[in-house]
Amino acid sequence: MAERTTPIRVLIAKPGLDGHDRGAKVLARGLRDEGFEVIYTGLRRTLDAIVAAAIEEDVDVVGCSILSGAHATLLPKLAASLRASGATDVLVVAGGIIPEADRPELEQAGISGIFGPGTTIAEVATFLRANARRR
Amino acid sequence: MPADAKHLAARRELAQGISAVERPGPAANQRIQEALAASTADARNALVVGLTGAPGAGKSSLAAALADVARAGGRRVAILAIDPSSHESGGALLGDRVRIDEHPDDDGRFTRSIATRGSGRSLAHVAAAATILVEAAGFDLIFVETVGAGQAEIGIARLADVLLVVEGPEGGDEVQAMKAGILEVADIVAVNKSDRPGAQAAFDRLRSGLALGAGAPELALVSATAGAGISELLATIDDVGAGRGVRGRIRRVEAHLVAAAESHVDAQVREARASGALTTRAEQIVAGTQSLTGSLTALFGISETPDA
Repeated sequence: MAERTTPIRVLIAKPGLDGHDRGAKVLARGLRDEGFEVIYTGLRRTLDAIVAAAIEEDVDVVGCSILSGAHATLLPKLAASLRASGATDVLVVAGGIIPEADRPELEQAGISGIFGPGTTIAEVATFLRANARRR
Repeated sequence: MPADAKHLAARRELAQGISAVERPGPAANQRIQEALAASTADARNALVVGLTGAPGAGKSSLAAALADVARAGGRRVAILAIDPSSHESGGALLGDRVRIDEHPDDDGRFTRSIATRGSGRSLAHVAAAATILVEAAGFDLIFVETVGAGQAEIGIARLADVLLVVEGPEGGDEVQAMKAGILEVADIVAVNKSDRPGAQAAFDRLRSGLALGAGAPELALVSATAGAGISELLATIDDVGAGRGVRGRIRRVEAHLVAAAESHVDAQVREARASGALTTRAEQIVAGTQSLTGSLTALFGISETPDA
């Protein structure tokens, strides 16, 4: 496939109610330094707001940071909502505190990458470069 | 209520169009021409409002507040928020949406974050093309927000129908107001954060500084977060922008032509740096084995004709 000529665009979102965005901000800054265009939307966004932002920004990746434990309900809904809105080739990944036991179900629901504590920015960047849509 | 497919389809088409014109070339040009034809056929004349000013002055919040008032009045409103790309990595951190409320169910709104990418001039090359596409998509009022830094100001002044300079409450000393530069091309200067101490004083200083010059911009004292003075500012914007008709679209095409030329040259410069040809040529010129004129031709295809 052709090499992409434009930066990969990533939406970093904080769905749900937890108010901890340090991890999201560190990731946003780190991915910028890795050459990504990162759109950061701020805290406590609804799923509908995240989907609309992903569509308007025409992103290649939606990355969610969740520390509230609500991942099991929020992430599959987000993935389904993105697909329903026509964003079928957008990669959905998640970071935060997500128990190992919950991963198979999330992967089944279309969450392509799950990054727990201790994941380096470089690892995330490598994964996104390998898996984001080509264009 | 999930935002369903049909609902977002129009926004998706516009969003993908902007991505497409971010890759310059004949396909992008074709798409821009189609958008121009559509706007002309529908007699659309969007008002493009440029917002510039120092980081932290509150440009995003003010654009969002103006958009809210305009949308409440039934207008279709878009915000294009431009932030710089890193020269080192080519990446960008685009954070303006943090200050702009999302309206996922409202097709009368559209927000897009744009990185300057290869533009060494701070106003993204794609800015003009994006406004042309947004206009064709039926938006009446388009805010283009950019960090105020040198050449970006002139770029946004040429692109916008109305240029709004946003100042924080600390700015606006008299000497600064008299200085050449952005205030010469501003249509309106808004002192934001009127709810903070010092804003009134900053406004007064600015007014006395600007009153000395001819053709001084309109002044406004507003608070984006408290919603103070926003309706009045929108009315001033509409007054300044009134009656421009198709001239606005012609100006956007001018801006795009210039951006396309700059984009071409910027790409040549990047290539000449990356390949080492620029340094090699410079070394040869210093050693006296190559001429400047010949090198401009070799590197960039520029042929300078001798002075008459």
